Amino acid sequence: MNALERLTQLSTKVYNQSAADWKQRGKRVVGYMCSYVPEEIFYAAGILPIRIGARGCKNTTLADAHMAPITCSFTRCVLEMALTHEYDFLDGLVFMNGCENMRRMCDNWISKISIPFNCCLSVPYKTHEDAVEWYSQELDSLKRKLEATFSVSISNSDLLESIRMVNKSKQLLKELYDLRKRPDSPISGTQAQRIVVMASAMPKNEFNELLEEVIHTYSQKNAVANYRARMMVIGNMLDDYTYTELIEQAGGLVVTDVTCYGTLYFWRAADSTTTDSIDSTLNGLARSYLNNILCPRMPFNSGNIHNLIEELTRTFNVDGIIFERMMYCNLWGGESMALEKDINEIGIPFLTLDRQYIPSGEGQIRTRIQAFLEMIGRQRK
Amino acid sequence: MITAGIDIGSLTGKALILKDTSVLSWSIIPTGYDSADTAKIVTEKALEQAGITMADIDYIVSTGYGRVIVPFARKNISEISCHARGAVWCNPQVRTVVDMGGQDCKSMRCDSRGNVISFAMNDKCSAGVGRYLEVMAKLLDIRLEDIGERSLDFTGDPLTISSTCVVFARSEILRSLQQGADKNKILAGLHDALVTRIYGMLNKVGLEKEFMVSGGIAKNIGIVNRLQRRVGFEFKTAFEPQIVGALGAAVLAQEALLEDAKS
Repeated sequence: MNALERLTQLSTKVYNQSAADWKQRGKRVVGYMCSYVPEEIFYAAGILPIRIGARGCKNTTLADAHMAPITCSFTRCVLEMALTHEYDFLDGLVFMNGCENMRRMCDNWISKISIPFNCCLSVPYKTHEDAVEWYSQELDSLKRKLEATFSVSISNSDLLESIRMVNKSKQLLKELYDLRKRPDSPISGTQAQRIVVMASAMPKNEFNELLEEVIHTYSQKNAVANYRARMMVIGNMLDDYTYTELIEQAGGLVVTDVTCYGTLYFWRAADSTTTDSIDSTLNGLARSYLNNILCPRMPFNSGNIHNLIEELTRTFNVDGIIFERMMYCNLWGGESMALEKDINEIGIPFLTLDRQYIPSGEGQIRTRIQAFLEMIGRQRK
Repeated sequence: MITAGIDIGSLTGKALILKDTSVLSWSIIPTGYDSADTAKIVTEKALEQAGITMADIDYIVSTGYGRVIVPFARKNISEISCHARGAVWCNPQVRTVVDMGGQDCKSMRCDSRGNVISFAMNDKCSAGVGRYLEVMAKLLDIRLEDIGERSLDFTGDPLTISSTCVVFARSEILRSLQQGADKNKILAGLHDALVTRIYGMLNKVGLEKEFMVSGGIAKNIGIVNRLQRRVGFEFKTAFEPQIVGALGAAVLAQEALLEDAKS
């Protein structure tokens, strides 16, 4: 089995074999929600952080009893996975105030399912110095809780080492995306998405080794054939690759994205400057995370999101942008207006697809994607 | 150059034969459970009317919900592209098109050649489209072809139907019927609700005066009349609104044929 096959196989389950092997060795696994939670602190504590997703969720029968149907379907799917014991392998859960849907889902989770350790980070909504100070205290508090709960100790050198390991991973992901910049991109969007999802779902060193092998193999491969247009996908949680597959089956080649699992997670690495105290290192980490993650939860972030979209459109030679707008996501739903205006200014064809986390209404989605690709094709002639 | 456009919609299958700039024939039949079979039957009917055989057709394009399962089509193109192209073929001045079909409703803005510039389509459920009217006509026990006319017979305030969901709207209407509401008042409310939805969709792509309505619902005078009042001007309907998608597919088949010849 080659590296891509291995990553593809692992990506089908939240509790994948690699994470299970980690547990088997007597080590801890903690789940976390949202890109604002730094993986580095867990690795420094010898804990495997796994980003909470809902791949494979088929319905929300149990979750719907606790959360209203007008809440984001991603969070209901996650709750369903928790209530059906898919996450029983976790030794802890760390969440934050990313959005109310997520925060209240976690309230439900920890009240219904016994979990040895949980912690809610209070992430500021601004990025000025006071906010950085606030967030570094939050991270310090998380560090102390992990140390006390799991009887570990996190040193400054442990933290610096894990920052370098995570940064290496983010750098490798950028190298993977560099392959997709080529006019003859050797890798499809669906394949790339399966890889990116695993970046936060398995031990980092193992992932880095596999990713290096994938990059080496694919840099020498031939191009993905017969596509009509190069596409960018925008949206929040896209860990299920079905929507990307629908775009690619219709003839689009997804070459880049602005999504929570994709570039929003890895495009900008954390500050890895060596410091002599753990407080300084945590402060640098807090500053990096507050500034690097371009989520619409932060007021005044639209300009930064716009700049990233513009940069990626140019460097990846994008022909069209599809906004996979999750229904009832107040953050991206609110961002819609700015997005549409900004992308019109860039002058790139833009399609908004309203979706639920579990893919449905496939026929109509296919029609819209096909019509969009036809529209781009005719505009090019 | 003889081409055919096959439009397999959720409620009806349409086939149209085009020879250069003349429409030779068309046929419309209800879509059965087997879409491939529907495509075969509807095409055979159109061929028979045109007095030609399948061997005489140079290129076939399929469109509509069942476009991928038309076994004899050389290419499939989305109904969004086909309706825009068909509408501009019918009237070259047209720049905005709204297609009101059985399962979905879409609005398109296009250029002088009928190329789509932007479009909007209703979300997954079929609220506010042909199937919606069909269900309500059945509930009221009125022939589908009569509901538009009867909705215009009512001159007072129409019944307010707050739900766009077919199932919930059906319950609302059932309750009104039990309370003795006038059927025409209910129909006026239903048509109003539909027009509101279509109008919103039109605004999404940008409404222009050169505007055409296609699809089966364009045959409903109650919808067309109300929509004209809402947009504030008279607009065009195609000579046979139901076959605009098939026509666009046949026109795009001509283009595909010419492109193939070039390459």
